[in-house]
Amino acid sequence: MEGASYARMPRVKIRELKDDYMKFELRDTDASVANALRRVMISEVPTVAIDLVEIEVNSSVLNDEFIAHRLGLIPLTSERAMGMRFSRDCDACDGDGQCEYCSVEFHLRVKCMTDSTLDVTSKDLYSSDHTVVPVDFSAADSSSVETSDGRGIIIVKLRKGQELRLRAIARKGIGKDHAKWSPAATVTFMYEPEIHINEDLMESLSLEEKKEWIDSSPTRVFDIDPVTQQVMVVDPEAYSYDDEVIKKAEAMGKPGLVEINAKQDSFIFTVESTGAVKASQLLQNAIEILKQKLDAVRLSEDTVEADDQFGELGAHMRGG
Amino acid sequence: MATKRPGSVEDLNLDALQELFKPHIESFDHMIDAGLETMFDHIKPVVVTHPSKPQKLTIMLKNPKIHLPQKTDGIARTTHGWLYPFECRQAKISYTGRFTANVCFQYNDGGKIGPQIRENINFGHFPIMLQSKLCNLKGKGPRELVSYKEEATEMGGYFILNGLERFIRPIIMPKRNYPMSTVRSSFSDRREGYTDKAVVIRCVRADQTSLTVKLYYLSNGSARLGFWVQGREYMLPVGILLKALIDTTDREIYANLTSYYNEKYEKGKGVVGTPRIGDRAQIILDELHDLSLFTRLQCLQYIGEHFQPIMRELRNESHYIVADAVLNDYILVHLKNNFDKFNLLIFMLQKLFSLIDHTSVPDNPDSLQNQEILLPGHLITIYLKEKLEEWLAKGKYMVLDEINKKGEKFDFTDSFQVRKILEKNHAPGISLTIENMLKTGRLATQTGLDLNQRAGFTIMAERLNFLRFLSHFRAVHRGAAFAGARNTTVRKLLPESWGFLCPVHTPDGEPCGLLNHMTHTCRITSFYDSQGNLKVDYKIKTSILNILIETGMTQSLPKILLPGPPEVLTVLLDGCIVGFIPSTEVEKVVAHLRELKVSSSAVIPNDLEVGYVPLSMGGQYPGLYLFTSASRFVRPVRNISIPSNGNENIELIGPFEQVYMEIQCPDGGNGGRKSPFPATHEEIHPTGMLSVVANLTPWSDHNQSPRNMYQCQMAKQTMAFSSQTIKLRADQKLYHLQTPQSPIVRTSAYTKYNVDEFPTGTNAIVAVLAYTGYDMEDAMILNKSSVERGMFHGQIYQTETVDLAERGSRSEQASRTFRKSNQDKSCPAIDSDGLPHVGQRIRPGEPYCSTYNAITNKTYLFNKKGTEDAYIDSVAVDVKNGKHLKKANIRFRYPRNPIIGDKFSSRHGQKGVCSQLWPDIDMPFSGNTGMRPDLIINPHAFPSRMTIAMLLESVAAKGGSLHGKYKDATPFRSSVKTDGEKSGSKSASLVDELGVMLKEKGFNYHGCEVLYSGVYGTELTCEIFIGPVYYQRLRHMVSDKYQVRSTGPIDPVTRQPVKGRKRGGGVRFGEMERDSLLAHGAAYLLHDRLHTCSDYHIADVCSICGSLLTTTFIQPQKLPVRQIVGLPPRKPPSKVACHACQTGKGMETVAMPYIFRYLAAELASMNIKMTLKLSN
Repeated sequence: MEGASYARMPRVKIRELKDDYMKFELRDTDASVANALRRVMISEVPTVAIDLVEIEVNSSVLNDEFIAHRLGLIPLTSERAMGMRFSRDCDACDGDGQCEYCSVEFHLRVKCMTDSTLDVTSKDLYSSDHTVVPVDFSAADSSSVETSDGRGIIIVKLRKGQELRLRAIARKGIGKDHAKWSPAATVTFMYEPEIHINEDLMESLSLEEKKEWIDSSPTRVFDIDPVTQQVMVVDPEAYSYDDEVIKKAEAMGKPGLVEINAKQDSFIFTVESTGAVKASQLLQNAIEILKQKLDAVRLSEDTVEADDQFGELGAHMRGG
Repeated sequence: MATKRPGSVEDLNLDALQELFKPHIESFDHMIDAGLETMFDHIKPVVVTHPSKPQKLTIMLKNPKIHLPQKTDGIARTTHGWLYPFECRQAKISYTGRFTANVCFQYNDGGKIGPQIRENINFGHFPIMLQSKLCNLKGKGPRELVSYKEEATEMGGYFILNGLERFIRPIIMPKRNYPMSTVRSSFSDRREGYTDKAVVIRCVRADQTSLTVKLYYLSNGSARLGFWVQGREYMLPVGILLKALIDTTDREIYANLTSYYNEKYEKGKGVVGTPRIGDRAQIILDELHDLSLFTRLQCLQYIGEHFQPIMRELRNESHYIVADAVLNDYILVHLKNNFDKFNLLIFMLQKLFSLIDHTSVPDNPDSLQNQEILLPGHLITIYLKEKLEEWLAKGKYMVLDEINKKGEKFDFTDSFQVRKILEKNHAPGISLTIENMLKTGRLATQTGLDLNQRAGFTIMAERLNFLRFLSHFRAVHRGAAFAGARNTTVRKLLPESWGFLCPVHTPDGEPCGLLNHMTHTCRITSFYDSQGNLKVDYKIKTSILNILIETGMTQSLPKILLPGPPEVLTVLLDGCIVGFIPSTEVEKVVAHLRELKVSSSAVIPNDLEVGYVPLSMGGQYPGLYLFTSASRFVRPVRNISIPSNGNENIELIGPFEQVYMEIQCPDGGNGGRKSPFPATHEEIHPTGMLSVVANLTPWSDHNQSPRNMYQCQMAKQTMAFSSQTIKLRADQKLYHLQTPQSPIVRTSAYTKYNVDEFPTGTNAIVAVLAYTGYDMEDAMILNKSSVERGMFHGQIYQTETVDLAERGSRSEQASRTFRKSNQDKSCPAIDSDGLPHVGQRIRPGEPYCSTYNAITNKTYLFNKKGTEDAYIDSVAVDVKNGKHLKKANIRFRYPRNPIIGDKFSSRHGQKGVCSQLWPDIDMPFSGNTGMRPDLIINPHAFPSRMTIAMLLESVAAKGGSLHGKYKDATPFRSSVKTDGEKSGSKSASLVDELGVMLKEKGFNYHGCEVLYSGVYGTELTCEIFIGPVYYQRLRHMVSDKYQVRSTGPIDPVTRQPVKGRKRGGGVRFGEMERDSLLAHGAAYLLHDRLHTCSDYHIADVCSICGSLLTTTFIQPQKLPVRQIVGLPPRKPPSKVACHACQTGKGMETVAMPYIFRYLAAELASMNIKMTLKLSN
């Protein structure tokens, strides 16, 4: 029973890659792996986020917890996070989680002196470590200067005389503990669809009927070839498994006009990062963590006696 | 685009909002402007007659004046500038202005009338309604209001008393000056011979005081007029009154009474008279003859004789004067003229007889048609009048007392000395009684003021959220007297209230149907016209009269008889018979009056109620009843019988006239008529029948109606953005939602009433599916990550006021200061000034404030109550009297982020409890967008509740957010005619319009999406309905409710756990719970609950005598001396003995509930011995 039958060599093909966005194909594997990857990306890839706030002066309109909460949700560049220690495991500091190995210190000192309101933003946070700073969106996305104004994420607005002074400690964490540590804004995958049009049946439709049928799908999956006037699949991945076209075909009295199946071993992933970690890095970190987790699960050789307990599974796990 | 930011203060349009609060404010304004003056005129001067000399002193009250609220020093009574409401709230004082009036003394020295001497007297500090004309915030714009630390949308309408905001809740009253046919079984219990039928009229004087007069029908055919004098009802034969009012003859009375009957009409339409009327008139007149009363003077003499003992003030006057006073003060007091009173009495008799003869039906006292409202200003006026009268009367007796006591020493003719006496009569107490009335809602009155209740007039204006606050001022209560009544007819929703009271917005449960809310278009008539000028009653009445005469009314001049219906209709103007109109002409007259109402020429007030009751076959008693008075309900409708000429032709109609009007609803329809709808009027918009809160439910016309009612309830208990000045408020408890949103799907009312200034919820992505089972039975699953990102985060603010002046004697107060003791290092939370650091966390039981008594050298620590950690949000101190702080408001902040057990609801009466904070990764996700829902609810919430609008909202919000637009969800859209818009798409259903929005953006037409299991990554077997729904967080939170206990405090008498969450008591395990455990056969559990966990007790029982109570402990003679190391101490032998049997032989220990022993003891105290028989 050596696991050759189980072993598959998944393939990844990257389609699109930006700093905070990635689209890739994952083939030759099954839903469990795809979903595990998704789950790890959302909740187990570590990042750094502000976890402890000591407020010295806060005369703003927002209360202390509110500001602390807002600070926590600011994404910090966390390329270093994989190498950092969790404060709870850190032996360099005596458990208070404020040493250089497990934490980054931030300071914020703002006072509004003018008559107009002052926006306190993530840019006003001064980091003790230049590798861990609030994510700067203005550089990456210079097209939308008007909206973001290059001022970072607003924390609070101050009017004349109001002041905010605080010290914040950022720590490593994972999204499972708190959403602020999640590096992924969205990770999703879909099964790659296989679409077979029954050409014979399709030809029995008039052009109007074809158009009507095509329009029944809210997304543009099908279109009519302007030359041959045949229905063709333009974008299979636009199909959202909503069965609209199948239902429409049935309603038109042509069941079996099209057959759509989800390929059980091909997935199209979309990853959006918060900016804390680059999308590409996010995937790599996720695979790394997944591997670590599997390593932890893999039973060592000396637990063969536990075979009764695990049966076939034990052998499989040992074999990798 | 201008640089002005959206939502800036200048953008606020508060007109619609102000309209909602107007009834309260206008009534108070009227009291200030004219009401007090009128009321003072109606207060009878008090005449003090010197007991021995022929000297009289008349004391009158004149020129009332209430001043703007000013800051006052407690002792010096000097003023330091204006007082603002913000300061009152913080300092926990009342928002009051000085109330002064002139007391005039006039001597009559044996016929020689002296000059009037005026003395200005201070009547204390009178509570001032916010935003009334005397409020310092009046006329301030939003930005100015903000600078006075008020809400930009501060609407006022309430009072501030000791820092608390209270308002007077309007109460439904019987319609004034309208004789109502009434059938009430209690009438027949009045006396022998009385029937259950009467005509009742509530007469209201110009100063708003009222007196109800009842005209009873006797089984012998006569009638009695019942009226209340000093808490007793007196019944006079109506004939006596008729004769006493004017000089008349039997023949005239007979002719008047029978004038409305004519043989020729027989039983036609609108005939109210019957042949029997002649006999009854005869009986009424015969009664007079039996008493041998023939002339007016005899009648007056008769009345005077009988009422002289009751009219205390007139004990020494002649009978005629007494009788005159009775007629003036108690009979039909809304009329001044005896002739008018006579006419009205005749009319009432005719109506009564018609009721008896079944030619007209009784008026329904529960119908809004016959009701009006008691407004705050009016209530205060009538209460104040009584208090001032009492004050004057008391003053009189004090002067007389003084004369009796001091005799010659007291110079009665010296007004200065008299004034000194009056000063003892504590004039500032007058304002204090008003303040107390507002504080407690209780009227301390002997007479009852013709009101049906004594208590419950004022209510705390809670600012739990804006909607709750706002609906306080739209609420109308039926009266506390009905709350306890067994029968439910008063609670019925009657068609008469259409358009005036909201059918949706009434609480369910005990006040259901009694506490109603006015629709958002409903207004209350006031003494102000639309320009805000005081209406002149006299002018209005003469102009109406002139118009009536022009259009063919015969004036009711003395000694002119006219036949009644069906030939002519009686015209009553505010309860005064002004004339007769031929019934053929009346429709024209009514139409003409309505035209004048609508026209801008100010001849006729636009809120005149033209109550035309047409002729009918035994319907309501016909007539033309015109009302110009205040405190009537009115609402705008469009008059379509007048050529529009560009005008809107908006007419204000009242519930009395509405019943007989033809008002078309916008969806057309002919109301089931065969003939075409003869509509003269048209509703402006169908949402006009809903209250403000009910108007906020999107597409409420698609919901099952009870759900809309539930939503109205829940909207008012939502934890929302309650106040924009939350930093500056010192309320007992304030709920605050940290991250509110404006709803995507919204009705037009949201914009109209600036609800976005105080949003109540969050647009949550809601998936409708059964997932994990944690969404069963109205539970809902929240996405843990969404919550962590701030969804539904909130705080509770709680203020504790530490007032050094509160406890102890005055000297003690002076020596107390805020200070921390130097030695005590135990409370780091407190600074050296005795007050806590802002931002400090205070744990339960920790001190948060320290005061120091310099004399006793003691510090007193204030410890935090409750079970929750709190943060010090702010500390506000009162620096009024310079040196020492005397008062401090310490405000705590409790973070209240969602946890399991917190309650949430959509806007469709779909409430649920959070059952899990589910990890984001385990939530189902959409393959296309990757979205995970914020919230999962169970599909079973829909079929039985039929809240279709919630589904529509989900689809619409999804479409709206995809298109980046708000979606209008004003109900009854399909009914409203849309001439301008393209009619093609409008014919399609709402869903079709919404579906297209989704389809355009590549989403499923029906709002469904394919979701994948977050746990397995596989497609869920069916498509899931998912979309944003506006969710509200309700204020019911587990943190305030959870109750756990293993051991804890017990009741010392019963040794059972105490009750109450606050004291750490147990959860009640009652009889029903016991039954259910018995039914399950769970005997051990039952034993555990009721015994082991309760008052488990081991008692010593004497098996010889069976007594439980006679056990005594025998003290061992020697104390144990041997304590061997390493061995457990020897258990001393049980030394219990029975006191009765004088032996310890038969002692047994028995486990029993302690309460059993208690029972035995209680029985013993009654000489009953309880004997236990022990077996085994």
